[in-house]
Amino acid sequence: MVIAAPVKGALRLSAVNDAAAALGLRVGMALADACAMHPKIAVADADEHADRQLLEAIANWCDRYTPLVGLDPPHGLLLDVTGCAHLFGGEAALAGDVVRRLDAQGYQARVAAADTVGCAWAVARFGESLLQRGRVVGEADRVGIVPSGETLNAISPLPLAALRLPPDTIAALAQVGLKLIADVLDRPRAPLAARFGAEFVRRLDQALGRDDEPIAPRLPIPAAIAEQRFADPIALERDVLSTIEKLAEKLGLLLERRGEGARLLQAALFRTDGKVFRIEVGTSEPLRDPARIRHLFADRLGVIGDEVDPGFGYDMVRLAALVTERSEPAQTGLAQPDHAAELAHLIDRLGARFGLHRVTRFVEQDTHIPEFAVMAVAATHFRNGGFSAQCALQQDSLAPTRPIRLFARPEPVEAVAEVPDGPPVQFTWRRMRHVVAHAEGPERIAMEWWRDAAGVALTRDYFRVESREGVRVWLYREGLVRSGEPTRWFLHGVFA
Amino acid sequence: MLPAEPMEQHLARLRRAIATSGDALVDEARSLALGVADVDAALGGGLPCAALHELSATAPIHLGAAAGFALTLAALAPKARHVLWIATDFGVLETGSLYGPGLDQIGLPSERLLMVRVARPIDALFAAEEALKCRALSTVVAELNGETDLTATRRLGLAAREGGALGILLHHKVSDAPSAAFTRWQIASCQSVPDEFGGLGCTAFHLSLTRNRRGPCGAWTLTWNHHERIFSALPVGVAAAAADGPDREALSA
Repeated sequence: MVIAAPVKGALRLSAVNDAAAALGLRVGMALADACAMHPKIAVADADEHADRQLLEAIANWCDRYTPLVGLDPPHGLLLDVTGCAHLFGGEAALAGDVVRRLDAQGYQARVAAADTVGCAWAVARFGESLLQRGRVVGEADRVGIVPSGETLNAISPLPLAALRLPPDTIAALAQVGLKLIADVLDRPRAPLAARFGAEFVRRLDQALGRDDEPIAPRLPIPAAIAEQRFADPIALERDVLSTIEKLAEKLGLLLERRGEGARLLQAALFRTDGKVFRIEVGTSEPLRDPARIRHLFADRLGVIGDEVDPGFGYDMVRLAALVTERSEPAQTGLAQPDHAAELAHLIDRLGARFGLHRVTRFVEQDTHIPEFAVMAVAATHFRNGGFSAQCALQQDSLAPTRPIRLFARPEPVEAVAEVPDGPPVQFTWRRMRHVVAHAEGPERIAMEWWRDAAGVALTRDYFRVESREGVRVWLYREGLVRSGEPTRWFLHGVFA
Repeated sequence: MLPAEPMEQHLARLRRAIATSGDALVDEARSLALGVADVDAALGGGLPCAALHELSATAPIHLGAAAGFALTLAALAPKARHVLWIATDFGVLETGSLYGPGLDQIGLPSERLLMVRVARPIDALFAAEEALKCRALSTVVAELNGETDLTATRRLGLAAREGGALGILLHHKVSDAPSAAFTRWQIASCQSVPDEFGGLGCTAFHLSLTRNRRGPCGAWTLTWNHHERIFSALPVGVAAAAADGPDREALSA
């Protein structure tokens, strides 16, 4: 079985399996040559997109070892295990664990741990010879651990290709007889840089740790995490929720020490077969209370429950506070219940269930165009209601001057007025004819001149109208009345 | 040094103080008087809070009036707490969304209002039940354009009793389905009594109480004075006169 991909106009082998390798097929060989040598090989087209997705799925899974996982396409992953390795019994044990678990999922992985990204990259790909010579320590032939401070020793016997260089640079180096990293280590750098490019020197420095190379994390690094591993996977929703509650307690302690609370929480459920579900809930105020956090996740799971299939169970659950915020400890009264906290919790729960953007409150806007005068914004984004009633609405009328309901799109109606610019005497709305009993108006509302970019002034003459049945609506006539032009009427809102 | 009061006595005194203050809170929230003698008498002192009430519009065209009545009830409910309005996506498309300045005018300051939009009627019932259990709300209004059954209304009623909020189910049409609600109302718009210049008068509602666990049913016509925030009864004869009165003359005058 081989995978073929077009390279510079020719189909070349981009991957071969063990059986094909045993036949003498190598990556980079032209497909036509390979087929000529072994006409019976199975050929599949390369699918870069699927490869990438698979790599991301594995990266997701690798999240169990460290929150800092970077992608190194086409088939590498970079894990920053600084400060995490001891949790797994050291780097060697961690690497062994990665290999074993990936093996169980059917992936062959080569793992190397080293002081620098460049060194680990080199050892993972070119390290077989080192393992044999005992320069690096490893439990299996697919694990290479470079002890701290041994970077130079470890990489010097490796070929130059281990430096992540473009193929033409390697070819150029080979032409002048430079094949191993050791060959270039002692040479003066200026001529090397001049001849083979700054990239070459940078890669060398990165491998040796003289140049900094951060791992770009795929996912945001949480402010605080708590996790729980299970020897026996758990599958029941109830168990998952209890675990989340326990983790929330731990997380709460971490956050309390910093005087913070979580605004965005994420629970990551690591299924035994490598799939990872991430469930996020937002909160309207900094939150630490485990019982409330459990409630939020219970609501969220209640909605997306079908998508989260436990399969054979989860062997790890992690709770992370992605966004935190300072929370001041508040003094609660003894006599009356804490309404503000209860309200915030209700908003959070409804938000967890229906989406935070669906729980809204009104925020006043600085305009008098009716449909923009208030905006419904997510209640979590806007915690302190600072709404002041508009004074402009004080009109001399017994009835309210603004409707209680407004249509997002004013509905066209057919209306008849006695005089062209007078109030309507009857109108037809939703195929029902209404005879106007009383009307107040017009109230002219026009566009603010500074917003009138298109040069088309919006002018509306609004009438508050009551029909014979007592139905009160807010009608407007669009534009200025000009003879010969039909007037257009719209129904914009409904009064109580 | 304070005189040495025995600790037990001191605690007992504090407990009494806390208990009585708690009672006061509950008393205030127990009944919502509409301020109209006839209606309050029929309701046995007012609309009981901590219970579920069903309002329905007699016809789709009267939905504005039904929503307005629900809003006025929310405006009369205890001021310090929030009001939650639950609507479905379909309902919002059909009837428009609540409009802040209008609510401010009718008496419900919009900073006291929270809104939830849900996709399905069943979600609205879920949200209503959760919200009614929350003691931080004074009124929960769920707008529904489907039917509710006995189980749903009973659950909502229990939740309202637990949380102490006024629960209102606002139906888009009159339903005959059995219900465990404390009261059921049918609401229609009513022509207002115009002012002396022929302009619109105070908002008026035809209310008919079709179910009342505490007393008799009845029908009234009330007007809501949004300036004073009070209801008053409209004498029936006046409303009728206005309906067929000389409104056209008033307009042209």
